[in-house]
Amino acid sequence: MYELFIALRHLTSRRRQSIFSIIAVGLAVMLLMWSQAMMVGFTDEMYSKTVDTMMPHVTVEPQEGEDYIHLYRNLIENINEIDGVTSISPVLMGAATFEYKGKNKNVVMQGIRVEDHDSVMFINNNIVEGNFRDLEVSPNSVVVGDALAEKLDVEIGDTIDASFPEANPTNLKVVGIYNSKTPMDETLAFTSLSTVQDFLDVSNVVTTILVRGDDRERAQEISEEIDTLGYPAAGWKETNPEIIQTLKIEGTSNAITLGLIIIIASFGIVSTLFMSVMEKTKEIGMLMAMGVSRRSIMRIFVMESSILGLLGGLFGVMLGAAFAIYMGSYDYGFEVMAGISSIPFVVRIQDAVIIVLFTFLINLIAGIYPASRASKLKPVEAIGRD
Amino acid sequence: MSEKYIIQIKNLTKIFGDGVEIKALDDVGLNIEQGEFMAIMGPSGSGKSTLLNQIGILDTPTSGTILLDGVDVTKMSDKQRSVTRNKQLGFIFQYHHLLPDFNALENVMMPLLINGVKRSEARKTASKMLEEVGLGDRMKHRPNQLSGGQNQRVAIARALVNKPSIVIGDEPTGNLDSKASDNIYELLRRLNREHNQTFILVTHDKHMAAKTDRTIQLVDGKICEDSRNGNGD
Repeated sequence: MYELFIALRHLTSRRRQSIFSIIAVGLAVMLLMWSQAMMVGFTDEMYSKTVDTMMPHVTVEPQEGEDYIHLYRNLIENINEIDGVTSISPVLMGAATFEYKGKNKNVVMQGIRVEDHDSVMFINNNIVEGNFRDLEVSPNSVVVGDALAEKLDVEIGDTIDASFPEANPTNLKVVGIYNSKTPMDETLAFTSLSTVQDFLDVSNVVTTILVRGDDRERAQEISEEIDTLGYPAAGWKETNPEIIQTLKIEGTSNAITLGLIIIIASFGIVSTLFMSVMEKTKEIGMLMAMGVSRRSIMRIFVMESSILGLLGGLFGVMLGAAFAIYMGSYDYGFEVMAGISSIPFVVRIQDAVIIVLFTFLINLIAGIYPASRASKLKPVEAIGRD
Repeated sequence: MSEKYIIQIKNLTKIFGDGVEIKALDDVGLNIEQGEFMAIMGPSGSGKSTLLNQIGILDTPTSGTILLDGVDVTKMSDKQRSVTRNKQLGFIFQYHHLLPDFNALENVMMPLLINGVKRSEARKTASKMLEEVGLGDRMKHRPNQLSGGQNQRVAIARALVNKPSIVIGDEPTGNLDSKASDNIYELLRRLNREHNQTFILVTHDKHMAAKTDRTIQLVDGKICEDSRNGNGD
């Protein structure tokens, strides 16, 4: 590998240019690494604030043509055996009109099993007044959102009239008020499964089964397995496509901007390499006279730019990661995002590897043009006669 | 054609042209024997260097053939030309053209490394070669730390290290004072005798040409004189 020997010597001989090239590429890479770590951190944070708490990983629907899942207890047992599933909540949903002292509001009632539902949706964390568990204890009780409570002007202990066409009217005692900081607070009321079943006058059935797994990224797998049990299931990415889309658009535009910065930095390398080709015309001619083929001349110069790219990439990734880790551990003392006071940087090895490879590749490609110029020199003309 | 000729040139023509055509070589024919030590002379622009570059396959002719050791180099691929230059030819130029970023030893090692010789092996062979040209104590010096004569010696060591059958020199002493020139000439002569390599030198220096075995005179791209000098062995 005498080509590498020559390439390395060229780089160390013009040490200053080499170092500046590495720094230029390194700074661009640092920016990319840093922003990627922030992107991943925010995405993670966003998922843990939404997917990990507010939505089920997988939603199971009734079979086609059916309004209800009839044998849901069997189905739950089967779903429970799927690898990665941690909690399952059967839910019966029904529309109702709530009325209290002349004020009324249309809502969606969710009949649930308290323990099961809490293990999937963590509703208990959002309870601001009363007790979620009372739903199970006292029949005909309800937990409403704070916005709904305000609209109807109800408090804990008050009794709401629930009615709907073709339903059995009933009274529901408010045992709890929750606040999820979402529009649900105005429209969603929780009650026990049997309460909704009586209200809708149906047998022991549910309308959906909500499933949570240990890893949100496995939601798709789990939903596919449930599909094979004969019930249509959808992962959270299917039921909330806008989340993925938003992140994708943001991530892509980010990557394009920063990718361009790296390409610009690599242009610096191209121009130093060009200068070096000009400077070394005679040397290249002499190398050819000594029997170095055009391919090898090409290889020498491409190696030079790729080595600079590789070093710049490594340098930048380390700098970016260090910077991100430092900033991630810094406590700003105020909320930078709902509920967190430090920026959630996440440095992933795979990001670092991809960025280094990308930088290496860009510089390899960037080196081809000056290198091919060098390789096309005619030995006689290159050596010249002064 | 006899086997004893290491170089056989037939009807070699080289035309440079960009609008105005210049015939640098005009139907040249020349046979050179193994071990010959010859000089090419001629006025400026007579085609000396062009002929040398053709023999060194640094350039391609417009027409005609050049056989090196019986093989027509004008029909070779770029790769084959490179290999032939590396193994069969050694070049010495007026300016040494050493690689400035490498020390004397590394410069001399380079043709060996290009040939695929192992680093340790190349180092051994190259140091021996440098000792032979009298620079055993300057191996770690870079070209800018050596005098013109010393650099030219390094260049000679580099040209000869792969044991090429043909060494071509384009005014190898043109840049040196007469004492240094004489030394270089003596060195080349000694190496020619010891290794029976063929030397073809372009020179302006009549004094030096007279000490070779054979001198050809080029004028306007044609050989107008081919004389034996009686200095041979």
